[in-house]
Amino acid sequence: MIWALPFIPALAGLAIWAWGPSARTAGAAAGAAAVVTALLALLVGSDTVSVAWSETISLRAGLTPQARVVAVTVALVALPILIFAAASEAARGLARLIGLLLVFVGGMELIVIAADFVTLLIGWEIVGACSWALIGHRWREGRPVASANYAFVMTRFGDLGLFVALFTVFAATGETGYDALGALEGPSLALAGAGILVAAVSKAGQVPFAPWLFRAMDGPTPVSALLHSATMVAAGVYLLARLQPALAGAPGFAVAAMAVGLVTALAGGVEALRQMHAKKLLAGSTSAQMGLMIATVGAGFPGIAILHLVVHAVFKAALFVSAGAAHHASGGFDLRAMSLGRAMPWAAAATGLAALSLAAVPPLAGGWSKEEMVKALEHAGAVPAILVVVAGGLTAAYAARFAWMSFGPGEVRDPRPTAGTAVALGLLSVATLALSFLWFPDIHDLAARVLGAELPEGSRLGLIASLAAVALGVMAGLSMARQPGAAPSADWLGLPRLIETVVTGPFEALARAAALADDRAIDGQDAAAGRATASARGAVAGIVGATGGLSRAASRGGEALSDLVATGPGHVAGRSGSDARKLQTGLAHHYYAYLIAGALLGIGVLLFGG
Amino acid sequence: MLTLAVLIPLLASAVLALVPVRDARTCRIGATAVTAVAFALLLAVWAVAAPTEGYRAVAEVPWVPSLGIAWRVGVDGMSLALALVTAVVFLAATAWPVSVPRARAFYAWLLFLAGVSIGLFVTLDLIVFYVFFDLSLVGMYFLIGRWGHGDAQHAAVKFFVYTLAGSLLILIGIIVLALAMPELTFDMRAIMEAAPVDGAGVVPGLILLAFVIGFGIKTPVFPLHTWLPPAHVNAPGPASTILAGVLLKMGTYGLVRLPLQMMPETFARFALPLALLGLASILWGAIVAYAQANLKRRIAYTSVNHMGYVVLGIAVAGSGLGSEAARQLALTGAVVEMVAHGLITGALFLIAGAFWERTQDYDLANYGGLAERAPRLTLMATLGSFASLGLPGLAGFVAELHIFLGAFGVYPWIAAVGLLGLVVTAALFLNLLRQVFFGELVTVRTGFADLRPAETAVLAGLLALVVLIGIWPTWLLDLIDAGGVLAAPGAGG
Repeated sequence: MIWALPFIPALAGLAIWAWGPSARTAGAAAGAAAVVTALLALLVGSDTVSVAWSETISLRAGLTPQARVVAVTVALVALPILIFAAASEAARGLARLIGLLLVFVGGMELIVIAADFVTLLIGWEIVGACSWALIGHRWREGRPVASANYAFVMTRFGDLGLFVALFTVFAATGETGYDALGALEGPSLALAGAGILVAAVSKAGQVPFAPWLFRAMDGPTPVSALLHSATMVAAGVYLLARLQPALAGAPGFAVAAMAVGLVTALAGGVEALRQMHAKKLLAGSTSAQMGLMIATVGAGFPGIAILHLVVHAVFKAALFVSAGAAHHASGGFDLRAMSLGRAMPWAAAATGLAALSLAAVPPLAGGWSKEEMVKALEHAGAVPAILVVVAGGLTAAYAARFAWMSFGPGEVRDPRPTAGTAVALGLLSVATLALSFLWFPDIHDLAARVLGAELPEGSRLGLIASLAAVALGVMAGLSMARQPGAAPSADWLGLPRLIETVVTGPFEALARAAALADDRAIDGQDAAAGRATASARGAVAGIVGATGGLSRAASRGGEALSDLVATGPGHVAGRSGSDARKLQTGLAHHYYAYLIAGALLGIGVLLFGG
Repeated sequence: MLTLAVLIPLLASAVLALVPVRDARTCRIGATAVTAVAFALLLAVWAVAAPTEGYRAVAEVPWVPSLGIAWRVGVDGMSLALALVTAVVFLAATAWPVSVPRARAFYAWLLFLAGVSIGLFVTLDLIVFYVFFDLSLVGMYFLIGRWGHGDAQHAAVKFFVYTLAGSLLILIGIIVLALAMPELTFDMRAIMEAAPVDGAGVVPGLILLAFVIGFGIKTPVFPLHTWLPPAHVNAPGPASTILAGVLLKMGTYGLVRLPLQMMPETFARFALPLALLGLASILWGAIVAYAQANLKRRIAYTSVNHMGYVVLGIAVAGSGLGSEAARQLALTGAVVEMVAHGLITGALFLIAGAFWERTQDYDLANYGGLAERAPRLTLMATLGSFASLGLPGLAGFVAELHIFLGAFGVYPWIAAVGLLGLVVTAALFLNLLRQVFFGELVTVRTGFADLRPAETAVLAGLLALVVLIGIWPTWLLDLIDAGGVLAAPGAGG
């Protein structure tokens, strides 16, 4: 039953792709699949079930309370995004887009229900492959596919961490389940922890993997909305939160998670402040927000990270839908050309709501969960606490800047958001408001109980500092929005260029050099001509002679031997080639007979000779 | 039944060579039907014959009793799996619609190769094994030399010289093994039981070296692989498919059957260098493939990479180190990789053949945006590429997962470094897809035709198996039964 959770959306997606219905029908069918998935996630039992592949490997799935919350969130956030996609994207290829979005949701659900590393790995890489197809959706343009490749390869590099974790756990215990992680100790636990962290960090778009999230912006807006809210990036945070109890004891894990998370939170915040491209601003924000969650997990409060994951998924999806609507109205993603508040007042209101939640302004949901994260990091020490407060200020600043530049007051323009976009924004706004009830003690205590999360105690000083940083940030953001400068010259603080210089470039040079060496040195053949030279025969013969061990004498003997072997068939081949017309096909059996006879003769000689 | 599975294609080949059938289509359909019969016979062995002492459908007919040579056939899980995939690949290669000159001879050679290849995997006699090993060279030599394109003669000769040199080394090894038996015999089972040349010492070491080089050339293992790319580039599509899908497996199958099972202790002593050789193949194959600008050369080098995984798995399986479970996993993975690589790379080479048939051009730079004209081809190539780069849900992943799971328990550092190959293969296949299928359609390719129904059906069949193994590999893993191979008497495990 629990396996239906990934299979229902995945199969529905494939069916929609193969069937190729109209936009309206595709949207309705996909929406129905999302709702069914959400209901199923709510109702399915919490027992762990397993399917055996072989004696050693079985796939296991189960829903912990946290997993159930995330599973429901994934499906429910996907619903408005699917509606938005059906309403706003071009009809050409729409069935494929919606189908793959659903498969993608299925892959994410598989990650959520996984209870062992093999199942996790399967979901993990299927999500990666789906994101490749989705980012490259507009394949007729050159750039999206290149970006899709970039994103896939970079996240796959991180996936190796998951492989290492799986192998470490298996080598130490002979099991692949999550439970086995608890049995590890010392170095193997550290190695498994490091592997899981690398995988999670790459998926969640953290430094140094963050640039792939920027390239992912070349995909259609609904793809960005789903990628950045409840799936893909969320998978990294979810995994860390899910495994935190076992990983907490891993040497260096907590510090590394907090370091990566906070560095990304700060750097992503700065990057989001510089961007003039609406979706890239939001992408920088996603990295930063995931960073805060990862740091919270590192501080020992996975439940809080999951709560913020849910809250973030809702408002970030809304912001991307807004960006899509703004793109539709203004013809581009340049924030300086937007100011659509008068043109689309309702969209502006929804954007303002979501942005305030992102900025963590009370009494919105984002304010509550962010303050909980601040409290959690206070427990980890003064430095993390100061950094998270600063990151919070940056968040408020870019959120305010985004809201003002995109949907601030401006001239009245004609294009209105489509009905589907309005419905999507409406649903997400209602969800943001509903989540804001988390401010009430009864409600957040209930949520904590359901999740099995511990709510941290915080100091008054921390709260005041945090709120002051938010207020300052909002003001700074609004003033920056009024005086926009030039677009930054380098994306992501120059990180992509660094990766190009340090990793990609040298690798390509290495590959070219290796290919040349393979042709010249190992084979001894001129690559361009593709034709044997005298030295080539010498090289081949040299290898044959030397490795054959047939003759201890100088390579002369070997050369002579291999020439002998080569020239015989060579003549035959030469004749068969040049005289091909003369030779009627019937002669094939002659060769066949000759060669069998020859082979048998050779065997005989060697047998009786030996 | 196994004998029939070998003889029917061979006899059909002779019939086709002698009877003047003019129509190419008739030849193709006839050849397909014959390989289908062979496949059905092997399926019947799987379904009906119960294993006795580890082998199914054993049959023995004396041939040269004084030398202990006999027609012995019988399959265990590993060889049955390989024989089955051989039949499937031949079925695909014969069914693939290709326009060749002298079609009758072409299909006669294909059937000849089919019989020989199935024979190699089902025989239990070393001399018969050796004869089939060499005859496979002959068949492939003519397929490349006579029906190849470009510098086909040179490629064919190079292929022949290289692999024949290897097979001579194997022959020496076989003879030494047989002579060392208390009573001269070439019965594989008896030699495995007795392991006559084993343990430390110069002679076992040299014999092992001879086997490793001989089978290593065929596999091929770095740095003995350079015959492979030209052979592939110049071979016609179905021949490439067989070369990659079947002939390369003979090398790794031999590596398991002979050195690993017949001289386990010596093998264990040299397992580490062999694992390093596998690692070198993994990385070198992937890195060099990345830099290739020729479609077929790129796929050919990924074969070096994939066979590197197989060699790593075999080395781990025979290392005698780590837990028994780890070694079994590695061997299971190695066999699954052989099966998976046969299906996946077989499909990819057929796709490459489709390119040649349409444009006579393998240069990646001359393509772009083909998805516009050939959506079916795009879908198949994408699926094949993702399978080859090891995406979960497809067969390659199951294989690589098992190999690495096992390898990590024995040689963790080699496994960890080998993982890097996964990233490089991902990059090189995605680059290929982007270059060829996506972006703007290049003007010279506006007339590019999509796959025909027959082509689509063949590729869909191969890739359906790839998906099936990827999602539900249980039946294959149960069939392979690596535990049985490693637990053979004398295998030290």
